[in-house]
Amino acid sequence: MNAPLHRLAEVAADPDAYVVAWKQSHPGRKVAGVLPMNFPEELLHAAGFLPVVIQENRDPDSDGRVILAEFYCGYTRNLADQAAKGKLDIYDTYFVADHCVQLLGAADVMRFKAPGTPIYFGQFIASMSEESTARKVRNEMEHIVGEVERGAGTPIDRERLAESIRLYNTDRRLLRMIFDARREGRIHLSGAQMQDLVKSSMVMDKAEHVALLEQLLTEGIAAGGSQARVKLHLSGHFCHAPKQELLDLIEDCGAMIVDDDLYHGRRYITTDVREDLDPIEALSTWYFDRNVNVPCPTRVQHDADWDTYLSNAVSESGADGVIVLMAKFCEPHMLLYPELRKMMDERDTPYLLIETEHEGLPMETIRTRIEALVERISRKATVAAAL
Amino acid sequence: MHTMGVDLGSTTAKAVIVDGTGAIVAHRVVQMGAVSRRGVTAAIEDVLRESGVERGDLGVVIATGYGRRLVPDATRTFTEITCHARGVAAMSPGTSLVIDIGGQDSKAIRIDSLGLVDDFAMNDRCASGTGRFFDVLARALECRLEDLDDLALAGSDDLEVSSMCATFAETEIISLLAEGSVPADIAASVHRAVAARTLGLVAQVGRANPVVMTGGVAHSRAAVHFLAKALGTEVSVPREPQITGAYGAALLGLESLQGETTVIGHAVEREHRHTGQLANGHDCTTCSLGQAKYQPIDVELWTASVAADRRP
Repeated sequence: MNAPLHRLAEVAADPDAYVVAWKQSHPGRKVAGVLPMNFPEELLHAAGFLPVVIQENRDPDSDGRVILAEFYCGYTRNLADQAAKGKLDIYDTYFVADHCVQLLGAADVMRFKAPGTPIYFGQFIASMSEESTARKVRNEMEHIVGEVERGAGTPIDRERLAESIRLYNTDRRLLRMIFDARREGRIHLSGAQMQDLVKSSMVMDKAEHVALLEQLLTEGIAAGGSQARVKLHLSGHFCHAPKQELLDLIEDCGAMIVDDDLYHGRRYITTDVREDLDPIEALSTWYFDRNVNVPCPTRVQHDADWDTYLSNAVSESGADGVIVLMAKFCEPHMLLYPELRKMMDERDTPYLLIETEHEGLPMETIRTRIEALVERISRKATVAAAL
Repeated sequence: MHTMGVDLGSTTAKAVIVDGTGAIVAHRVVQMGAVSRRGVTAAIEDVLRESGVERGDLGVVIATGYGRRLVPDATRTFTEITCHARGVAAMSPGTSLVIDIGGQDSKAIRIDSLGLVDDFAMNDRCASGTGRFFDVLARALECRLEDLDDLALAGSDDLEVSSMCATFAETEIISLLAEGSVPADIAASVHRAVAARTLGLVAQVGRANPVVMTGGVAHSRAAVHFLAKALGTEVSVPREPQITGAYGAALLGLESLQGETTVIGHAVEREHRHTGQLANGHDCTTCSLGQAKYQPIDVELWTASVAADRRP
């Protein structure tokens, strides 16, 4: 593994260590913990914070296990556990801009367990096609700007915000270059390595991340993997990273991940903030554009839906099948899944649903299911070629 | 040229050797501990001895089953899902739905006319409705596993059984006994509930006919009866329902040697039609399903058969 990849993997594996080290090397600066998935981090960056999307950790839930009900998703229960164990004390403040009930439950636990740490809320409207939506989003963005300024104790300089937007756009553009190259088979990085690229972006200082990506692209990435492998698209997981052993397992079963719509994947990097608009207006527009580029089941939009997006993405990448990674008890995903399934049945795309949890995935059973999907696709292709 | 398929399941090891036409030369089922290496070695040694084929004369060895990666010297592996589909397509051409229930897991597999998997669903980590579950049931009812069929088929299945967890079911059964429920009724009701659970898997892949049941639980007349009743259709059971995976693996090995990909396969060596389970209570004298004595039952919805090679 080359040096930039190694460093990005290191940060992705232990975000807390990066945060602690960053604070030591930046005395007087604050770290803002952000909950997924629509908070405009550029605002925090421009206000002088290090914005960090708080990640699920690897520890078994213990102290916080009883705080949230069993039917909360693994990510939110793990956030509660981290809060109960004091693991989130490394953050100076928290910001939330989404209305997922489970995520708000985790935010409540964070507030309860660390009453001295300010937590700021916004709530973007989920109904994207109403006449009033644009105005409401703009108003909410103004509200969030106010909250960030309140947290920072100083107004956000518009020119600095424009610079932050340019920096974040650069990071997203570089990441998209790598994702596009993978989709087109020009490079080969494992699913875990691709996740490292995005996860580290959610944690690191953006300028540092951009520098590492540029170094990685300059040094070059190994050429495409075996074309004989079954090509799969990974779909789902809106808030937290799928476990890397699961990604490794998929590849170990003879598949090659060619594209995804994961939050720790294309969903996070797909949309740039327009640089030709007033920055606040541009961030409001970004909120709409994101849901067009990779639609989210938590949003309702008449002219954009996830199933159509997924169908197009599979066509574009030439994926032979889809693995849907669904966080157990993720209600928006559970509710939309029948639509995805219907679409995949209609286009005769083989698919597999894997329900994930924070602890205790039955890996050998999952291996059998993934291998069966791979065998199903490859045997059908072989027979079709012979007929 | 011979090939061998080895199915290392959670509680049994199965080995099948086929000749160059796909006909079964020898097969062996060995009961064992959990995913036992000793069990799989015994199955392989037995089947080699029975067939008279030397290990070195086998073209390929294909491993399948939960422990497929533990099978020594396997040429390659396939999942039991692919192998059951392949094996059933050979044993019973035209089958559309395979329900495989083994010691620790259960699967519904929809297959096409070539034995290719169209869709599948399997239990996650819950042993509900698997062989393990019936072990628990027999223990709680203080009867031998081999007596459970007669007990369940003699009972009325109208008790409410809410828990399908293999662990909690025992508690619930004890509670039903304490309430004074008759063991036969409990056995029947639990079987009905297990069949309903299996229908959940079937619903994931879509109902289709004809239906073939495989795996160790297919030896249970009661399990097959209640499944057929729940499905509202006939359920066929191969003569040796535990070897379909190993047989499919051996056929996949043969395909890999012969370069053929559209072979339906060679069916089992002899035709057999199950004649037991008739309303008059007559036994079947030629298959394992019919060897046990049992009470006459209403089998309107159920027949069991082994399909031989139906090709012209």
